[in-house]
Amino acid sequence: MATTLGWITLALPLAGFLILALWPGEPSKRVSAAVGCGSILGGFGCAAAIFLGLLGDSPEERTHVSRLWTWIDLGDLRVDAAIQIDQLSVLMMLVITGVGFLIHLYSAEYMAGSRGYRRFYAEMNFFVFSMLLLVEAANVLFLIIGWALVGLASYLLIGFDHDRPAAVAAAKKAFVVNVVGDIGMVLAAVLLIRELGTLDYGAVFAAAPAGLGQGTGVAEAVALLLFVGAAAKSAQVPFHTWLPDAMEGPTPVSALIHAATMVTAGVYLVVRMHVLYQLAPIAADTVAVVGAITLFMAATIAIVQVDIKRVLAWSTVSQIGYMIMGAGLGVYGGAMFHFLEHAFFKALLFLGVGIVIHALAGEQSLDRMGGLSRHLRFAYVTVAIGCLAIAGFPGLSGFFSKDAILSGALADGALGKTLWVVGTLTAGLTALYMFRMLFRAFWGPEPAGGYAHPPHPSGPLMAVPVAVLAVLSVVGGWIEVPGAWHGIDDWLHPVFADSVGAALVASGTDELITGICSSVLCIAGIAAAWWLFARDPSRRLRLAGVARPARGVLEEGYRFDEAYDEILVNSTRDVGDVLRRRVEPAGVQGLVTATVAGMRESAKGLQKAQSGLLRTYAFMIVLGLALVGVVLALAIH
Amino acid sequence: MSGVPLVYYLGLSGILFLLGLLGVMVRRNPLLLLLAVELMLNGANVALIGFSRHWNNSDGQIFALVVMVVAAAEVVVGLGLVVAVFRQRLELDVDQMSRLKG
Amino acid sequence: MGERIVFGVAAAAALACGALVITLRNAFQAAVALIGSLASVAVIFILLAAPFAAAVQVIVYAGAIVVLFLFVIAYLGERGVAGAPDRLAPYRVFGAVAALALLAQGAIVLLDTRLPGAHSDPRPPGDIGSPRAIGDAFLSSHLVPFEATSLLLLAAAVGAVLLAKRAIQMEGGR
Repeated sequence: MATTLGWITLALPLAGFLILALWPGEPSKRVSAAVGCGSILGGFGCAAAIFLGLLGDSPEERTHVSRLWTWIDLGDLRVDAAIQIDQLSVLMMLVITGVGFLIHLYSAEYMAGSRGYRRFYAEMNFFVFSMLLLVEAANVLFLIIGWALVGLASYLLIGFDHDRPAAVAAAKKAFVVNVVGDIGMVLAAVLLIRELGTLDYGAVFAAAPAGLGQGTGVAEAVALLLFVGAAAKSAQVPFHTWLPDAMEGPTPVSALIHAATMVTAGVYLVVRMHVLYQLAPIAADTVAVVGAITLFMAATIAIVQVDIKRVLAWSTVSQIGYMIMGAGLGVYGGAMFHFLEHAFFKALLFLGVGIVIHALAGEQSLDRMGGLSRHLRFAYVTVAIGCLAIAGFPGLSGFFSKDAILSGALADGALGKTLWVVGTLTAGLTALYMFRMLFRAFWGPEPAGGYAHPPHPSGPLMAVPVAVLAVLSVVGGWIEVPGAWHGIDDWLHPVFADSVGAALVASGTDELITGICSSVLCIAGIAAAWWLFARDPSRRLRLAGVARPARGVLEEGYRFDEAYDEILVNSTRDVGDVLRRRVEPAGVQGLVTATVAGMRESAKGLQKAQSGLLRTYAFMIVLGLALVGVVLALAIH
Repeated sequence: MSGVPLVYYLGLSGILFLLGLLGVMVRRNPLLLLLAVELMLNGANVALIGFSRHWNNSDGQIFALVVMVVAAAEVVVGLGLVVAVFRQRLELDVDQMSRLKG
Repeated sequence: MGERIVFGVAAAAALACGALVITLRNAFQAAVALIGSLASVAVIFILLAAPFAAAVQVIVYAGAIVVLFLFVIAYLGERGVAGAPDRLAPYRVFGAVAALALLAQGAIVLLDTRLPGAHSDPRPPGDIGSPRAIGDAFLSSHLVPFEATSLLLLAAAVGAVLLAKRAIQMEGGR
């Protein structure tokens, strides 16, 4: 039952995509929106039904695998076209289809002015299908297929405005970086086949402790290669550079793909492969450290960004850093909890900011905003809720989920405690940069030159999803309250039953310390933002000269792009130049020229043989026969 | 030792074929050329029917009969061409018919 | 022994007539020589237990095809051979050498062959060449080639008609 619904969940967005893509002529916007939203709503209904169905099963029997046919049958290796429904994948499916539906609904109004309305919905449905395939896959091969397809969908949607060079360049960048990650995944899969001879999750996890061994080189290699894929998809250092550029895509795309779902695939991967990471302590620590570096670095960069969507993009990188850090440390429940809440409040923030951008006819610079709270009260309230949630204000969703990760880290050893310090400090930074954005956009005076476009409030199609997400951002955190109940942990617990090591359990003291520290830092961050940007708007301009070089570094995101250009792009281009100027004329082109010349010359010679004299031809045949006879005679004797 | 061994038939076949071949190489008159081709086909038929006898199997004879049909078709078309060339008031010399060489 | 004598006479006649075919410059005489050669080969066919093939040889080849030749020769009259000297005459010796080389190779192969029974007395033949056996084979196991030949003949007939018609039109005739 659960798996049948799982297949239907997968099929609906695919059907929506095919219908929209193959619709003859240009369907009306009403049809496009109805098909696009309807398929996702249907998917959400199925996912919810699966969830309710699983509630009826006993906790240990909630994993269902369904196989349609055998995809690959090679000697000992067999890979099926199969899906796996369990607590983890259902959680992901609910978020993908639920938040996905809200964003689809929002897009109906947001994209109304766009020419590629049908294309937008077709590609969004394709993305949802790919993402569902990613999380429903029952083996590593189908995981990789979904993984690559979401990369493709991301590419298509970032470059949705394909007449803008910046969008096309950003799409290409995202695709290239993601393919680097894909290569890591494929290599990991090959290693798994070589060592374990299977790609099915259950079989891999069962065989891994004996087949790979604890802490062996192979185990570390598999885990690290998988993490290359996870880091590329989840925009972790050093593969993070594509995500801020991906904001060239339409805002709903940023909300769905580059905030709520796709970029968290790396977290899902690490959590799904937890057995492998438990066998590879070095790789797991690497994951945690990379997450910590990313979350801190992205937060510092977010403080100085002027483009409002880039602030959100860097905050996404930072928040995923939290999840990755938690997953690396073994706080799987906390990581998935933060994923869930992050989907709520980050989608809320993007959609709320989308209202602003829509109202200002595409203006994204904070310098051209200010005082918007008077014009866009609904957007102001909802974005403020989102900011409070992401900053971890006590009682809102981000408070519970971030603290779940941090208190787990505090329960860990020395590494965990170090990362706890980084994460907790960054919680303060988070409050600072989010409220900087809020104050600069909605408070203070109107910009000097006036707005780019007179702001107008949004319609109901945009308001309803934002309102729903705002409510979820407020109450969503209460499914897991420290010391009282642990909804997510309890739900996911059976998934981690095959864990090799002991689970990381935060004590009441850890949770209390974390809660107090992060609350204090959150409020301190908000206060600092208020003092810097709201109390006296001119203070910001007076302080503009302070620490100029350091801010320059931050504004350019620690100059990763420049370094990549310098090291990878330019050196490759130099090699290409040398090859083109020196090697190619004599080598490849020379070969072609020589071949052509040789053909022409030999044809000139052979032309003479074509005399048109029938009897000469007959003679040639006789001569040939005689020669063949001689050759045969020589060959036989 | 009253019958004729296969090699004799094959020898006869080969010599007939070579005679035809020489004719093709030497003659310029398309009519004579066609006659020489008939001679070659006959040589081949002797070999076919000789082997048919050797293996006691009628396939070779069937093949030879098909060859005769092909020969008939070839003669019909060949002679049609000769007549067409003749009506163009051209010389009957295969060396002159070389315009198709390209 | 009688069979050998018949074979010797027929083979000699076939070769002699064949030599005449390629040496006589008069097309009419060459065609008549070809009849001789074909008839001799028909005798050989009878020796090879192929009476039906022999009959076809005489009726179709000697009868129909050569008669067609004779018609054309009669139609064209005597203005057959070109007057110009043969440009390729100096190279004739190469053709002869190549043909001799082939002949030598054939001889070597025939003398050297290890095909079982190729040099010895043939076994008594079965019923392979009678009209009944041939007809049976053509209408059962070799039906496709049989039908293919009919198509070929049709194509040849149409082609010949077209060629002749085109030639008549070019002459500006009827």
